[in-house]
Amino acid sequence: MTYTVSPGEAPAKARPRPAGYLLVRAGRGSFLVHRRAAAVALGLAVLLAAVCVAYLCVGKTFVAPTEAVKVVLGQPSSDELVVGTLRLPRMTVGLLIGAAFGVAGALIQTVSRNPLASPDIIGVTQGASALTVGAMTFGVTSYAFLPYLSVIGGLLAAALVYAFAWRRGLHAARFVLIGIGFAVALRSVTHLFMTKGDYLVAQQAQVWMTGSLNGRGWDEATPVFWALLALVPFVLWAARAQRTVAMDDDTATALGVRLGRVRFGLVLLGVVLASIATGAAGPVDFVALLAPQIARRTTRTAQIPLLCSALLGAVIVVLADLLARKLFEPTELPVGVLTAAVGAPYLIWLIIRSRTGGKA
Amino acid sequence: MTESRLTARALTLAYEDRTVVDALDLDVPDGQVTVVVGPNACGKSTLLRALGRLLKPKGGAVLLDGEELAQIPTRRIARSLGLLPQTPVAPEAITVADLVARGRQPHQRWWQQWSEEDERAVTDAMARTDVSALAERAVDELSGGQRQRVWIAMALAQETDLLLLDEPTTYLDIAHQVEVLDLVRQLNHERGRTVVAVLHDLNQAARYADHLVAMKAGRVIARGRPSEIVTAELVREVFGLDSVVVPDPVTGSPLVIPGTPWAPSAACGGIASLD
Repeated sequence: MTYTVSPGEAPAKARPRPAGYLLVRAGRGSFLVHRRAAAVALGLAVLLAAVCVAYLCVGKTFVAPTEAVKVVLGQPSSDELVVGTLRLPRMTVGLLIGAAFGVAGALIQTVSRNPLASPDIIGVTQGASALTVGAMTFGVTSYAFLPYLSVIGGLLAAALVYAFAWRRGLHAARFVLIGIGFAVALRSVTHLFMTKGDYLVAQQAQVWMTGSLNGRGWDEATPVFWALLALVPFVLWAARAQRTVAMDDDTATALGVRLGRVRFGLVLLGVVLASIATGAAGPVDFVALLAPQIARRTTRTAQIPLLCSALLGAVIVVLADLLARKLFEPTELPVGVLTAAVGAPYLIWLIIRSRTGGKA
Repeated sequence: MTESRLTARALTLAYEDRTVVDALDLDVPDGQVTVVVGPNACGKSTLLRALGRLLKPKGGAVLLDGEELAQIPTRRIARSLGLLPQTPVAPEAITVADLVARGRQPHQRWWQQWSEEDERAVTDAMARTDVSALAERAVDELSGGQRQRVWIAMALAQETDLLLLDEPTTYLDIAHQVEVLDLVRQLNHERGRTVVAVLHDLNQAARYADHLVAMKAGRVIARGRPSEIVTAELVREVFGLDSVVVPDPVTGSPLVIPGTPWAPSAACGGIASLD
């Protein structure tokens, strides 16, 4: 197999290969890589690594970065307990759910063609919450079991929204509006469960609903890791497929895209990702909304770059959880409080911008 | 008798319960420019959408090479038949070269995103539509005329034998309208592409069409060479307009000149009458 990367200028003839793309050949395959997106992804990877090291070092006791890295690499270290048992698994859950929310948001925003859409706005995470909290009030408290309920709840809610939004094809604006309606309804169902339930359960549910990484260990990290790994091939498909749904329906169809199926596949993947992440840490608000938009604005691509969105989601969650642990020490905030504190103003800004005629 | 790869048989089209096109038969002659004209809401755009499998027939069928469109995988259709909608929407912030390259979609695979063939087709399409110099510009920033040429470039990059255009000259000034129509004709002549276009302007249709189809209320009223079918009677029947038809001083094709414009009559206007 030979790999050739053709950089900047090819000799002699003009290259119509879309400006700003790198052409990567591998055997019979050929792939277009957006140059700026690749650079941003690299930068984000470095940033993420730095944030992760900081995460492992900072806490009630400070651990030297060299020791933290040693633990990650599996070398013997005196800080094995603090880093390896407490901080590393919690960080891993944060990383994974951040990436999952990032991709989920990107897919749902692409299909709905709306930067305000995301799984936590169109009812997916509310569906997950409603079923999970409902189960809690009826006495299911096993943390091994709740995440699965959460996935089912998210999928059910999405299926309902999809079904109601369907009218001879999926209408993007309808999809978002009906989603918002369901989100509100499901939220009140959740609160109803909480008031019906036992005081302690309500307290526990409240923490879960804010989105918290507190107490997450390898037991939570491992299933999430495998579930997400299994979805990677689908995400690779989505990265290419979402290019085609960015155009209007007629043009996409004329180009031979089976729009209905592609859209359904993208939404399903987004919903599954968001539900898995919600199952692991509760609904960490606004990550799925923020990450794709920031990714797109920095890369200036015609569609949301999935890898950058995943990396950004991971950076946001890990950084937010680091601050959540440290900011009001010794009190620990749920990570969802911090992401909401940053995300809500951003959401308002997006709405103001779109209302004043600027393209959001 | 010319061959027809694209035909419609007893085609009935409807939105909800409202029938727009009723039992229509149509043969699109290969290698010619067919133009569909008719008054607003006569079903001409609806017909074009059905020919391009964007609308499912309520009855009858559209056939491509004798096979029903509904039975052919949409991707395979996209390799023989291209369509440019009336108001296509580009992804935000996309560059011209990127958009034109998307015309190659039906020829690409997940693992083959760019080939020599793609490169050649895109260069060629951009050169023909004269947008090569705009390659790195964002489509959002272009003028209406430039944007329309970029969209046509995208449809050309698809390299299909059949090309359907839904009012390709809307929103363009007269110079750009002529430019687009000349380009269509050139493609047809040099590449033998079969073109079906819906046009608003009857005179442009008569100038550029080899085969003219006049529609009214979902039915074909007349079809044939413009010089043979465009008459004052046809214009009255189709558009309900009194007119004089004279030979176009440049091309000799029929030129429709509408009857006397409204003028204030002497009685109510108080202006001295001419006689």
